[in-house]
Amino acid sequence: MPSASELPAAPRHRLGGLFRAVAILAVAAAVLSFPSWAPNPYILSAGVVVLNYAVLSTSWNFVGGFTGYISLGHGALAGLGGYATGLLVVRAGLPSFVALAAATLLVAAFAVPVGYAALRVRGASFVIVSIALVLILLLVFQSWASFTGGSRGLVVPRPFPGLLRPEHHRVFFYLFAALLAVALLVWWLVDRSRFGLGLKAIREDEDKAESLGTPTFGYKLVVFVVSAGFTGLAGGLYALWFGDLDPVFQFSILTGSYLVLMALLGGVRQLFGPLVGALVVGIGLEYFKVEFGNTPLHLAATGLLLALVVMFMPDGVLPALGALVDRFLRPAQSSIREVTAAELRDRGSGPPEGDRPADPPASVPVGAPDGRSAEERS
Amino acid sequence: MPSGALLFQSVILGLLLGGLYALLAAGLTLYFGIMRVVMIAHSAFLILAAYLAWWSHARLGVDPLLSMVVTVPLFFGLGVLLQRLLLARLRPVTLTMMSVLLTFAIAVLIEGLLGYAFSGTQRRIQLGYGSASLGLFGARIAVVKLIAFGLAAVALLTLYLLLKRTRFGWALRATIQHPDAARLIGIDTDRIAGFGFGVGLATAAVGGTALALDTTIYPSLHWHWIGPLMAIIVVGGLGSVPGAAVAAMLLGLVQSLLQIPLGTTWAQTVFYLALFATLAFRPQGFFGGRLAQRF
Amino acid sequence: MTGQPSGPPGPATSGTGSPATTGAGSPATTGPTSPVAGGTGSPPTSGTGSLATSGLTKAFGGVTALDAATVEFRHGQVNALIGPNGSGKTTFFNCVTGMIRPDSGRTSYRGADITRRSPHAIARAGIGRTFQLCRVFPRMSALDNVLAAARPDGFWSQLRGARRRVELDRARGWLTRLGIEHLADVEARNMSWGQQKLLELAGVLMSGPETVLLDEPAGGVNPALLDRIGALVRELNAEGRTFVIVEHNMDLVMSISDHVVVFDRGRPIAEGPPAVIRSDERVLGAYLGV
Repeated sequence: MPSASELPAAPRHRLGGLFRAVAILAVAAAVLSFPSWAPNPYILSAGVVVLNYAVLSTSWNFVGGFTGYISLGHGALAGLGGYATGLLVVRAGLPSFVALAAATLLVAAFAVPVGYAALRVRGASFVIVSIALVLILLLVFQSWASFTGGSRGLVVPRPFPGLLRPEHHRVFFYLFAALLAVALLVWWLVDRSRFGLGLKAIREDEDKAESLGTPTFGYKLVVFVVSAGFTGLAGGLYALWFGDLDPVFQFSILTGSYLVLMALLGGVRQLFGPLVGALVVGIGLEYFKVEFGNTPLHLAATGLLLALVVMFMPDGVLPALGALVDRFLRPAQSSIREVTAAELRDRGSGPPEGDRPADPPASVPVGAPDGRSAEERS
Repeated sequence: MPSGALLFQSVILGLLLGGLYALLAAGLTLYFGIMRVVMIAHSAFLILAAYLAWWSHARLGVDPLLSMVVTVPLFFGLGVLLQRLLLARLRPVTLTMMSVLLTFAIAVLIEGLLGYAFSGTQRRIQLGYGSASLGLFGARIAVVKLIAFGLAAVALLTLYLLLKRTRFGWALRATIQHPDAARLIGIDTDRIAGFGFGVGLATAAVGGTALALDTTIYPSLHWHWIGPLMAIIVVGGLGSVPGAAVAAMLLGLVQSLLQIPLGTTWAQTVFYLALFATLAFRPQGFFGGRLAQRF
Repeated sequence: MTGQPSGPPGPATSGTGSPATTGAGSPATTGPTSPVAGGTGSPPTSGTGSLATSGLTKAFGGVTALDAATVEFRHGQVNALIGPNGSGKTTFFNCVTGMIRPDSGRTSYRGADITRRSPHAIARAGIGRTFQLCRVFPRMSALDNVLAAARPDGFWSQLRGARRRVELDRARGWLTRLGIEHLADVEARNMSWGQQKLLELAGVLMSGPETVLLDEPAGGVNPALLDRIGALVRELNAEGRTFVIVEHNMDLVMSISDHVVVFDRGRPIAEGPPAVIRSDERVLGAYLGV
């Protein structure tokens, strides 16, 4: 009986794992071969934009997915990475990729005091600070025109001046793909580490995690800084690719909400959730931009979609799909949770929680606490 | 060195502005008290009310103040619906984060719809008394600013009386302070919470109308307001209406004074600096606010 | 600092807390400290080696939840903290564990002042606790719930996999010992109340505390499970862990505790062995409102 929940789980994992592996390989192959079958440079550049979104929302998910803290300000961190890279190239004359590395570190360092203010108290203060971050950076970068170029924008020289436009897109497509791979890898590593388990404990119940000895503030701060670093790096890479920065677009509250929408839609607890969300929302955004141009209805649709996801699908599509796949693969068996519920019903009777009427007398004979389990196991 | 008259004028303007801030922050404080919800859409509703005031003046030729006859009950109803149909249905465990996201989504939705309905063009109400001003010890104060302040003062006073003198106010305060106990003594806390949201949103209707009198409005204007309002409720100590009012007056005053040497744009940063400093060094706020610890 | 007070709890362990891996700083390991003879309500002054508060005060608004509470719990004993509802017991726990900052007063543990430390630092100093309304991580499996409580040894170890053999064995050991090993892969939210209580306890024990504060372990628990928890507490105590238990169930209190402290209106009004407390008229007065 004790192992009832373990036995049926194994084949499910194997089949599910196989399915996962195939799916991942297929997506990876599709992504990597995209530049060779993209019909024209415009589509290729749209691919770069979508990959950029995928990197950004995966970076966002370091905070949002593990700790449950939702940031609406990651767009601003990306913008800061972009501006830092651009300014380091233009004003300090650094080589493009040196500037990119420096900008990444700058954004990560910038995230320390911001995180300090935002994460000391738990709850909504983090969201508020993240929104304030967008607003204040927009204010500063627009007003401090002598340094940032203000509303006239900032032109960032291309790192590979010799390349033609399609080649330029292709190179950056692979750069973004590589960055995405690194971000996913790090997310996966954190996910299976003790650090990750601590972060998830924070998401579940922060007071409880703290009372078990997890330094919650430190954990949150570290993961926020990591997240900011990746976001800044992606923003900087975007600046090098796009070559023209405007504060209104770099520090847009909308970018941040796109990232949240993508991650939430895909599923914040899943490694590939933000990527899936970015593919759906990013492609949708690009499509609508081509079809309808930039209209206020973009905003309205984003708002509506976000509200719908929050209300009806806060866990995202991937978990829903996973449940579906499960049902196909194991039609006879219902989900593991239901097995347990049934098992509980078998064992239990009597209110208010007659969960274990049978074992208590036998189970803890004082002095020989462990004998029972040894017996039961054999 | 600015002249005495200029300084005096800035002080007066700062206090008038602070009054408006106080009204708007009161709504936010109320929501937070009732449900621990940070209502990002509050300022979007504010702009919506401002647009309705502008529209009724420009299209129907009615005095913008009269639009409140419609907008205040309308917003009250919307507030009740918002709480009962949307916020109350979120999972309690993730309420804090999801409610912020949901109200954020509503703000974006309102902004998009406003842009669709009225275009992104900047709008301004042209009133007969729009350019009139009063001279007071060398300071010139626009009449519309006085009207706006007057509206805010009347609305705040009404809110105060509503909370302190009526049975509904008593039930609402009980709900805020101790929902479980309130339920035990027979208060229908769900209903009361819905009405509380209605009252909060009604303050946005008044505030939006007051705002429309004297400001150029455009759909994305609400982002300029949400930052300062957040700063006010955090500095005031969340959950404390008087705290928010004091913080509002104080920050309005400081902003107004800083405009003399810095100009309007940079003077806005005072709110963000106050927000960051408060959260970093005194997260419970400066003027009480028992609930702030859980913020 | 991160000493593991007791060895792995699994089937192999026999009674005594082993002097396993003592990190720096952990004063004395946790072998069962000599049980103070079950004696009289001794003056709360005796030396270190105990959890003690002096003048602990906390007010919420106008309500004084703790009123200059001075208490000492002796090491190696099962201490009970009883008192009528609202007498400040849970607030006391919250202050001691750093979840609430007291307005004034001090808390010391084994001679060190822990008043202003953060909750996780206090936990790492060796004080574990459960919550009145049992708190587990709802969307994590039982096994992960327990693993999440494992104490990392050093900074870089936190980047290691969460499911390493050593921890996995310890975690499974605790689940086994509490009789819920068959639920290892079940998400905590799908477990019954009683199972969640056991799981919470397993997590706290995994974090390796020398002193365990239990907030109403008997709350909402059926009689059979109650006996089990009582027996478990005695066992764990015999292995060297100190307990402080807030409890309303007098049968449980009287049967398992060595020392009882009675709270009323935010301060202790009586203390002593169960037999003495049972007949103390101040206690009756406090409960009956005389």
